[in-house]
Amino acid sequence: MENIETKLREEAKRLLLEKKADVIIGYEKGTLPLTATPCFITTPEEADKLVWNNLCTQNLAKFVHDLITVHKNSQKRVKPEDRKKKVIGVVARGCTTRSLIIHLQERQYERDEVYIIGIPCDGYLDGKGLKVAVGGADIVEGTIDGGQIKMKTSDGDKTVALKDVLADSCLTCRFNNPIISDIMIGQNAPAMNPDAEYNDVKDFEAKPIEERWAYFVKEMEKCMRCNACRQACPSCYCPTCFVEQSQPQWIGIGEDKTDAQVFQFMRLYHMVGRCVDCGSCVSVCPMGVDLRKFLKKIDKDCWELFANRAGSSMEDMPPLGKYDEHHDKEDFIFNP
Amino acid sequence: MAENLASKEWEPKIVAIVCNWCTYAGADLAGISRIQYPPNVRIIRVPCTGRINPFYIVKALQSGADAVLVSGCHPGECHYISGNLVARRKFATLKSFLNYVGVEGDRAMFTWVSASEGDRFAQVIRGVTAKVKALGPAKKLIKKIG
Repeated sequence: MENIETKLREEAKRLLLEKKADVIIGYEKGTLPLTATPCFITTPEEADKLVWNNLCTQNLAKFVHDLITVHKNSQKRVKPEDRKKKVIGVVARGCTTRSLIIHLQERQYERDEVYIIGIPCDGYLDGKGLKVAVGGADIVEGTIDGGQIKMKTSDGDKTVALKDVLADSCLTCRFNNPIISDIMIGQNAPAMNPDAEYNDVKDFEAKPIEERWAYFVKEMEKCMRCNACRQACPSCYCPTCFVEQSQPQWIGIGEDKTDAQVFQFMRLYHMVGRCVDCGSCVSVCPMGVDLRKFLKKIDKDCWELFANRAGSSMEDMPPLGKYDEHHDKEDFIFNP
Repeated sequence: MAENLASKEWEPKIVAIVCNWCTYAGADLAGISRIQYPPNVRIIRVPCTGRINPFYIVKALQSGADAVLVSGCHPGECHYISGNLVARRKFATLKSFLNYVGVEGDRAMFTWVSASEGDRFAQVIRGVTAKVKALGPAKKLIKKIG
């Protein structure tokens, strides 16, 4: 891991010195113990801030899209011949590259506008899970060493095995190695346990309908509509989200619980063929809504109906943008 | 007043979102052929099923519709060539996802009726109404006002 970090810093320095990238998006040490936070590196000196470890959580593809959009807007009033392209370097693990592929397929920017520093990933730590594992104590200091997390907490010293507190999406990750990259750092990581990825969904599907509805209501009641999930999601990049639209006003602004249900339902549904299971929405949710149970179902449907895994290759275009006249599922059509 | 309404036999309210070229013409044909069908549907005409935002369906359910029926041209007969084929993929996932979260799948129904199938249109409405009557009034996802 140290090795990857040094290589990453060297690579970032080189890219900035050679002007191959204008900015590099990576992770730096967070302000709280055992956290890492996204950072933007624009000078070679700053590159030493970069870190790479199991604390790097957020999907950085979101920031790639944001930066390019801001840059493009700033170029709008510049004469076309004077417009400059900005190249964004990004530290990308498997799920980040999948999100980048989705952006590229949806024609959000050109391939030469991003420089992808691919890093194989062995999963990130689920902050909420860790909090539970230490019994809700405040973590004062912590280090990760050889698969063990050693912490000083308000409840005394504690040690937790890293594999016990990895995020759910990492435990069943299928694409932990970058799919596209301009440069790769480190050796390919061993696969996780992708065969188990739909186990949760299958269990939930087998439950009676009223039980499923009760669970949905219970989870969505937690939602206070802070929109953190939308802000963190790389696939949520609409200039005007349906939540803020006022003509028509899709979602009421009151505290009616069905508004939260409809908001969540529609945001989840917008992820058909676009959710890469990076877990960013789950990790940022302040209320701990179990979003993954529903997102995974959408992923499963996509795979079973359209044989598509979001962003798994540049050639495999988004499933809802195409069709197969003779082989698409028809059995749900009502015939009297 | 409310009690009076409740004591009456409940009739479902069904929103039918239909495409202009096939099903709407089919409904028209059912009308001019004087084919009888239950008066439970409220028809909304759209240019094509491909134009239907899945939000329309969810929003209709939230606004108190007991069921939503979407109907368009048969696959391969879309007047915009592929609108209904793209829509079919959207609806397959929408229906499955609605059912997954616990809203009965039959609250959102999809079918194809062409312009010459006035009789089929009436049959579809009869079928859908019967199904929704069997389900009973919608209780989930409904926003209560007041």
